Amino acid sequence: MTRPVSYAVIRGKVIDTDLIEFGGRGGDITFLAPDPHRIVDQLALGNPTKMADLYELSFDQILDYLGELGSRLEVGRNDYLREAREMSYATAPTTVPIMKAFFEHMPAMFDPRRIRDMCEFNIGIPYLEGWVQKSINGSNVGIRAYGSRALHIVAGNGPVLGALTILRGAVTRGDTIIKVPSNDPFTTGAIARTMVDMAPDHPITRHVAVAYWRGGDQVVESKLYQPHSIEKIVAWGGFASVRHVTQYIQPGLELISLDPKRSASIVGGEALENDLIMQECASRIATDVGANNQTACANCRMVYVVCGTDELGVEKLKRLGRKVYDAMLKLPSDLSTKPKRYDPDLKSKVDTLRLSEDWYTVIGGTEGEGAVIVSHTADRVDFYEYLADRTVNLVPVDTLDEVLDVIDAYTQTVGIFPESLRERVRHLGALCGGQRFVSLGYAFNGPGLVGPQDGIEPLRRMCKWIISEEPLPGRKPFWECAEGEVSMVA
Amino acid sequence: MAIDAAAARHDSSLEREALGWIRNPYEHVGWSNTKIHSMPRQEVEAIQLAALNIRLEQRRQQIQVLQKLADAQGIRKFDSLDDAAPLLFPHDVYKSYPVSLLAKQRFDQISKWLSRLTPYDPSGVDVSGCDSIDAWLVKLQQETPLDVATSSGSSGTCSFYPKSKRDYVVCVQGMRTQLAQKFGVPPTEADLNAKIHAVVPLYRDGHASTGAFPRYIRDIFCRGDENYLHTAFPFKISSDLMWLAARLRAAAGRGEAGKVDVPPALLARRAEWEAAQKHMPAQQLAFVQRMVRELRGQRVLVMGTSNLLYAAAKRGLDEGYTGSFAANSVFMGGGGAKGVPLPDDLEEVICRFFGTDRMISAYGMTELNAQAIQCSHDKYHQLPWAVVYLLDLETGRPLPRSGLQTGRAAFFDITQDGTWGGIITGDLVTIDWDTPCGCGRTSVAMNKRIQRVSELQGGDDKISCAATPQAQADAMDFLTSF
Repeated sequence: MTRPVSYAVIRGKVIDTDLIEFGGRGGDITFLAPDPHRIVDQLALGNPTKMADLYELSFDQILDYLGELGSRLEVGRNDYLREAREMSYATAPTTVPIMKAFFEHMPAMFDPRRIRDMCEFNIGIPYLEGWVQKSINGSNVGIRAYGSRALHIVAGNGPVLGALTILRGAVTRGDTIIKVPSNDPFTTGAIARTMVDMAPDHPITRHVAVAYWRGGDQVVESKLYQPHSIEKIVAWGGFASVRHVTQYIQPGLELISLDPKRSASIVGGEALENDLIMQECASRIATDVGANNQTACANCRMVYVVCGTDELGVEKLKRLGRKVYDAMLKLPSDLSTKPKRYDPDLKSKVDTLRLSEDWYTVIGGTEGEGAVIVSHTADRVDFYEYLADRTVNLVPVDTLDEVLDVIDAYTQTVGIFPESLRERVRHLGALCGGQRFVSLGYAFNGPGLVGPQDGIEPLRRMCKWIISEEPLPGRKPFWECAEGEVSMVA
Repeated sequence: MAIDAAAARHDSSLEREALGWIRNPYEHVGWSNTKIHSMPRQEVEAIQLAALNIRLEQRRQQIQVLQKLADAQGIRKFDSLDDAAPLLFPHDVYKSYPVSLLAKQRFDQISKWLSRLTPYDPSGVDVSGCDSIDAWLVKLQQETPLDVATSSGSSGTCSFYPKSKRDYVVCVQGMRTQLAQKFGVPPTEADLNAKIHAVVPLYRDGHASTGAFPRYIRDIFCRGDENYLHTAFPFKISSDLMWLAARLRAAAGRGEAGKVDVPPALLARRAEWEAAQKHMPAQQLAFVQRMVRELRGQRVLVMGTSNLLYAAAKRGLDEGYTGSFAANSVFMGGGGAKGVPLPDDLEEVICRFFGTDRMISAYGMTELNAQAIQCSHDKYHQLPWAVVYLLDLETGRPLPRSGLQTGRAAFFDITQDGTWGGIITGDLVTIDWDTPCGCGRTSVAMNKRIQRVSELQGGDDKISCAATPQAQADAMDFLTSF
């Protein structure tokens, strides 16, 4: 069998020579990629003035490019992408129907209108197009968002992050180097090859470099992760990878860290009052747990239910648990399926709780399809950090305050049900560290990644915010000031 | 069902052997290390199977968790050793109680939880007056045959393993039999019965393995003579403090150390621990000096976790001391596979300080009475009464008992008295089943290199018996920062 190739695509050139072998994550498959030590010197742009060509493009021209690219990313008409999709089935953490859906929806990401709205909402297009002038404190100030030379270490739990990174780089007029992950080593290269076919000399094509190297490769990283080569590193997920990158951070090289996160939901006791509302609540939980087979940080992993910890409350919670389980199995297959592989360690932990029936009720999970664990006390399971593969822990609590205690800086999305809890939960939750508050069931059914994420604004952070100041007429120069007249106010 | 009743029903010669192992294997084989490790494998496996069936019949009536598991799988009898694999317990089962019970000091509830795992029902013991883990465990120790062992994992939980006192005795008897005797040479009277100086760089007392063992070592190595037991720290290592330390480490890992609430009983003992902590460096030095001066030329058995052994040896060398002991002394460390990084110069420092050219190590764990000692060919030899399984990492099924195999180690310790003997570890072990070890032992030989499965797979929940001084220091820092 010929092994699949993760192509390097560097600034308009596809590189498929000096291939060496790499192992897929978990030893699933091996793939070939150009020897990173031989291409590392070509990855960086070098002189930052080479970014000037991006400023000969108008924002509309950038959108035209992205729109055209989007129409070429229809997987039915794009051999590179189709090949990448087929090869990704082996490396991806999710299953074939879910991967198909990801690829199917990729062109929509490049819809110019959608991109324009996102940029307007998030940054303000005038800041990307030129200097936005304002008067303040006796000065005329111009502000402009410049692109940066950024290296992106993207996560591989879904094949869309490479696409998102390319379009974010383009709209900010950035220079984009993407280190692809071993659990998705093919998709981003396929998009970049499509760009080369479409417009090999276009500035946007020339400011994208895609390659695979093993995270932690000292030779590559010590050469590339330097302030003279790049200005920013955007690191997605993976505690080890983020930790690892921090050793290169120094003045002149900024880390934009989208740390590994987990998500939890909060349900008020009234959601268990009758069968109808309990059913709705269960469907909402099942959706946020099951979407993309719980591979994303936004997936719900624990649900705190203010149903009380007495026998009555726990009995109700078990009923909810059974409904969640049933609802999860009924989710459409392009949203959720039986997981590709149920982590054997997790299975052993879940099975252990089955033996502790005084304290936990385990629903399902015998066939690797996912499981609902109902705690009988206000304790989350001690392996809550490892909940995955459609495994959720429902935890009963007596008061809302107990829940807020467990929201911390690692909590990204908090699903809320019913809405009457929102004001309190989002305010106190934000103080405790929570970063995104959604209606339960809508964790993946919102506006998309249009603004803040993990408590920061990545798109804005990817820009260099430049200020230009001129004195307004009448401002007295210091050199004309007498002793004691100078006033420097910061 | 009592074992005597079982004996009446199991009277084939295999079953009589099996019952001998169950009662006390060392007595049964005449306390001979050579004999233990020279039995033909086929014979051993036949006795093992008989013993497994006797244990199953006995324990399914006594241990509720086992009964539940066996019923769920429809298992009533084992036709082969591999048939027992579905009934090996994941080690998580010994910490599967809700952690809030511990934080709220609901020891009656934890006793109830524990009662499902052991034939010695602790739920009848009145623990209403207990305000700490130590107090609870001492109470159970006083009123039941149990001597529950604790260990703390890096997820911040504390496991409770219902060992019995008998388990400790059998375990330490096994250590004496294997360590004091040279393989291939009949045991001397001194090997068997003399008081031997036990040098144990651990705590005098405690419920974690770094504190519990010295009590039994004193009885079995020192024949009850306190003066022959040499520990580094003359106080009890507190399980409450260990648990606090584990929670702090876990919380610090999550960046939320400020959120750990400390039970008042723990805060009240702050001054006591502060004092203990202050004296530790001096105690360690005194320990080293005693060893070097008083035990010069004596036969000693040095046993301890590798990191504590190293700490003592390093301290000794730094202060300019080296030891000189009788030629039949033995120096043994252990605990290196449990995720605690060991210094590169570990062996060199220990050998130099103790004046020996060989330091051996052992592979064991709280959950097993059987300790596998390293042979001259660098293999860990498992005792015949501990059935060894290597499990496929993905499916959990036993790998064949032939050829070269690497898998997750699991064991069934036939001698286990306080709980079900089947345990699945987090260790990745390699065994060459077909090639006899060059040292001459016929017992199952595990390769020296042992990894944690979790290290292989990325995530981690290290359960460690070895990191106590650091853990204690962390906890002290926290307690004294109020």
